[in-house]
Amino acid sequence: MKLEGTNTLPASVNTVWKTINDPEALRRCTPGLKELKEVAPDTYEARLEIGVAAVKGAYTGRLAITDKRPPTHYIITLEGSGGPGFMKGQGTVDLEREGDATLVRWVGDIQIGGLIAGVGQRMIGGIGKMLIGQFFKCLEQTLGGAAPAGGGGPRAGGDAAGSGEVG
Amino acid sequence: MSTRYVGARIPRNEDPRLLQGHGLFVDDVRLPGMAHMALLRSPHAHARIRRIDTDRARDAPGVLAVYTHADLGALGNPLPKLIPHPSLVHHKTQYALAPDTVRYAGEPVACVVAESRYAAEDAVDLITVDYEPLPVAATLEQAIAPQAPLVHEDIGTNIAARYAQRVGDVEQAFAAAPHRFRERLVIDRGASCPMETRGVVASWDARAGRLDVWDSTQAPIPIRNGLAAMFGLPQQNVRVVAPDVGGGFGPKIMMFYPEEILVPLAAMRLGRPVKWIEDRRENMVATNQEREQIHDAEIAVDADGRILGVRTVFLYDAGAYIPYGLIVPIVASTTLPGPYRIPNYHCEFTAVFTNKTTVSPYRGAGRPHGVFVMERLLDRVARELRVDRTEVRRRNLIQPDQFPYDVGLIYQDNAPLRYDSGNYPACLDRALEIIQYAEWPARQGTSRSQGRYLGLGVACYVEGTGIGPYEGCRITVEPSGKVFVATGVGTQGQGHMTSFAQIAADALGVAPRDVAVYTGDTGLFNWGTGTFASRAATVAGNAVGLAAQAVREKARVVAAKLLEAPAEEIELEGGRVFVRGVPARSLSLGEVALAANPLRFAMPPEWEGPGLEAIRYFTPSQGTFSNGVHACVVEVDPETGMLTILRYVVVHDCGRVINPTILEGQIHGGVAQGLGGVFWEKLAYDAQAQPLSTTFMDYLIPTSAEVPPFEIDHVETPSPLNPLGVKGAGEAGVIPVAAAVAQAVEDALAPFDVRIAEMPLSPNRLRQLIAEVRRTT
Repeated sequence: MKLEGTNTLPASVNTVWKTINDPEALRRCTPGLKELKEVAPDTYEARLEIGVAAVKGAYTGRLAITDKRPPTHYIITLEGSGGPGFMKGQGTVDLEREGDATLVRWVGDIQIGGLIAGVGQRMIGGIGKMLIGQFFKCLEQTLGGAAPAGGGGPRAGGDAAGSGEVG
Repeated sequence: MSTRYVGARIPRNEDPRLLQGHGLFVDDVRLPGMAHMALLRSPHAHARIRRIDTDRARDAPGVLAVYTHADLGALGNPLPKLIPHPSLVHHKTQYALAPDTVRYAGEPVACVVAESRYAAEDAVDLITVDYEPLPVAATLEQAIAPQAPLVHEDIGTNIAARYAQRVGDVEQAFAAAPHRFRERLVIDRGASCPMETRGVVASWDARAGRLDVWDSTQAPIPIRNGLAAMFGLPQQNVRVVAPDVGGGFGPKIMMFYPEEILVPLAAMRLGRPVKWIEDRRENMVATNQEREQIHDAEIAVDADGRILGVRTVFLYDAGAYIPYGLIVPIVASTTLPGPYRIPNYHCEFTAVFTNKTTVSPYRGAGRPHGVFVMERLLDRVARELRVDRTEVRRRNLIQPDQFPYDVGLIYQDNAPLRYDSGNYPACLDRALEIIQYAEWPARQGTSRSQGRYLGLGVACYVEGTGIGPYEGCRITVEPSGKVFVATGVGTQGQGHMTSFAQIAADALGVAPRDVAVYTGDTGLFNWGTGTFASRAATVAGNAVGLAAQAVREKARVVAAKLLEAPAEEIELEGGRVFVRGVPARSLSLGEVALAANPLRFAMPPEWEGPGLEAIRYFTPSQGTFSNGVHACVVEVDPETGMLTILRYVVVHDCGRVINPTILEGQIHGGVAQGLGGVFWEKLAYDAQAQPLSTTFMDYLIPTSAEVPPFEIDHVETPSPLNPLGVKGAGEAGVIPVAAAVAQAVEDALAPFDVRIAEMPLSPNRLRQLIAEVRRTT
């Protein structure tokens, strides 16, 4: 499943670059991410809880950032497996100056297998887009864009970002 | 022998029991202390197993055992190879639990036995498997490409077998032919979707050394024999019962599925009965599938459309393993010639491993493919030569005086493909008459002028049925007068309790309701191969007939003494045994049975033993060949791509009809399944061979809203190959549906000049095809 899109973040390229390399920001903004433990530079052990359609479940896996060309380009890979199957996503992120802001271009590929593929495949495109949307919305708030919704807690990117349950 | 009941439209013996909810399906088997199994299945289509951690699962509440391949001991070998063939060089079968590599999504990796299915499923989630994903051969074309990922690394190829058969001199025929036409035809995967999924219950009695197994299978006796061999038990100590089976359709003739070994193993190890019932999602990945083939086919004809030669070279998707051998592609290649005279024929297939669920016969078992290819080729001939499509067929039909007709090929039973009897032109004429073919151009014109796109399709087929090696039957008359018939072939809804009863009733002069038929219980009959290849009525039916005749003769011999008349003058009718012409001198059949089993005094030597009982076998040397013609009228909405079946006509010849109601039921079900495979049902896989249609939300089965009423007629050309003159009918309904509907859709969309070269279709696909034509014109 290929996905791509662009988002504009209200900060300079350098600031955006720093934020998308900051484990704390990643932890806060990746939807459904429950744990993120750095095991090596740019490599993390991750625990996610995500629901796809009727299939909700926990996944453990690895998040890695590779192919870094600061401050404009990296590849982020997230793979996890758990009871409902496995998921593997890879995204190429490119930053580009756009006035005072930064244009983020991303191209992603999501693979899922097992129960989530059999039951949730028809949703995965929409869900992928939604999760990525939540990720950027959260970054936007982190970078001082729109005010955090609700109580302004760390998972301010909306309810779905917090629970990782969609579809 | 009078045939009061054979041929009669009598209600089914089994229906009162089934309709009152008194059927016994595997899930109805509930034994004291029964534990439940759940399986962990691979989420990957291809992966190496690095490590399996079962500790947390073992510690989970209610868990009794967790098994992986390492726990299987002597049962850890590859599962039995069912049907070998000299051309099948790589006869790969799977393991009960994968040892180191998984080759399709759904392959069992571990199993948990727990106090409840709930606990077992929860514990399955606690097993962690470290997989190393491997590259995937998802499609036939990927799998045969150079450098393709290998499904079985050790054999260095994805090709399991290549096999060719030929008749005449095809090269010469094609070289000399005035017209040659070529088509590439693709049929995709489908699932059989029985209402009752698979299921196994096993119970081990350690004191008696006896294993009882209830299995939703089409082959209880071979399962019994295999279990006895694998577990080192005497066959007589293993009883396998296929009670009521809620649909078989072929995949349940497969043996062994892993669960058929794991459940008995767990029951023996734990000393408790164990049950596993397949859930629907498992059924869509772990029960064998069928239908994926790609044919490159060519036909050579003379100026009048007479066939000079046909050849097809095709790829057959075996899935990840090939336990059932080459039956499906052999049936496809030998069904292709159908009712036509084809002097020169070449068929050649390559059986290919892919990282998908294993393939074995599903109702039709290659026959729909053969018919689809042949009929598409003839449609092409009709179009190119501007000859009426039914006329092209008529010119090539084998004529009634040409039987027996030797096609020149070897059939799936390893015997020559020799049609025994038939009247192909009569079936075609009758179908055209019912569908009012002569008036069709006018009717189609009228509908087109109203902006409606109606099309008519006609397709012919021959169905190989009733193959050996044998089936048997034991008939016993009890002193109550009731007749008990026991046979090895199980029933999965085919009405054996009625049609076999009709056969026995005629011979014994009783009513079918007084005949109790027992099938699918190895404790009641010891010999048999199973219910497959539309063979039960022919092979087991004739065994019933032979056994009933033998019991009748015995009854006459016994009654001759009791009634003091020559045996030749004894008649059986209405449950009475009497001297011909003197009905007053009579006994009930039960009284004769009682007398045949004396407690004391010498027995007349001509009785040759006690009781009114006989066992007989029927061992046909070759199959019998049914045939038929389907005709349908469809409507296509070019805007939505939606297909509506307006009329569906079936004219069918399966020899002598035992029970028209049962036969029509078989045809209804078959056509409905055929229609499913034409437009609604498609097993979708993604590029990584992940199954995407594992629920009925994604895999659409036609309902009564989609399936039209059927118009059915019979032509009866008895088979000369068996005493009853019957032929098989179980798969007939499904066989020509794709061919008939393809032609009808093309006919409906003639203004767009759309060509159908694939099955199944869908609204999307039809719209796409219309759009493609619009773009290029």
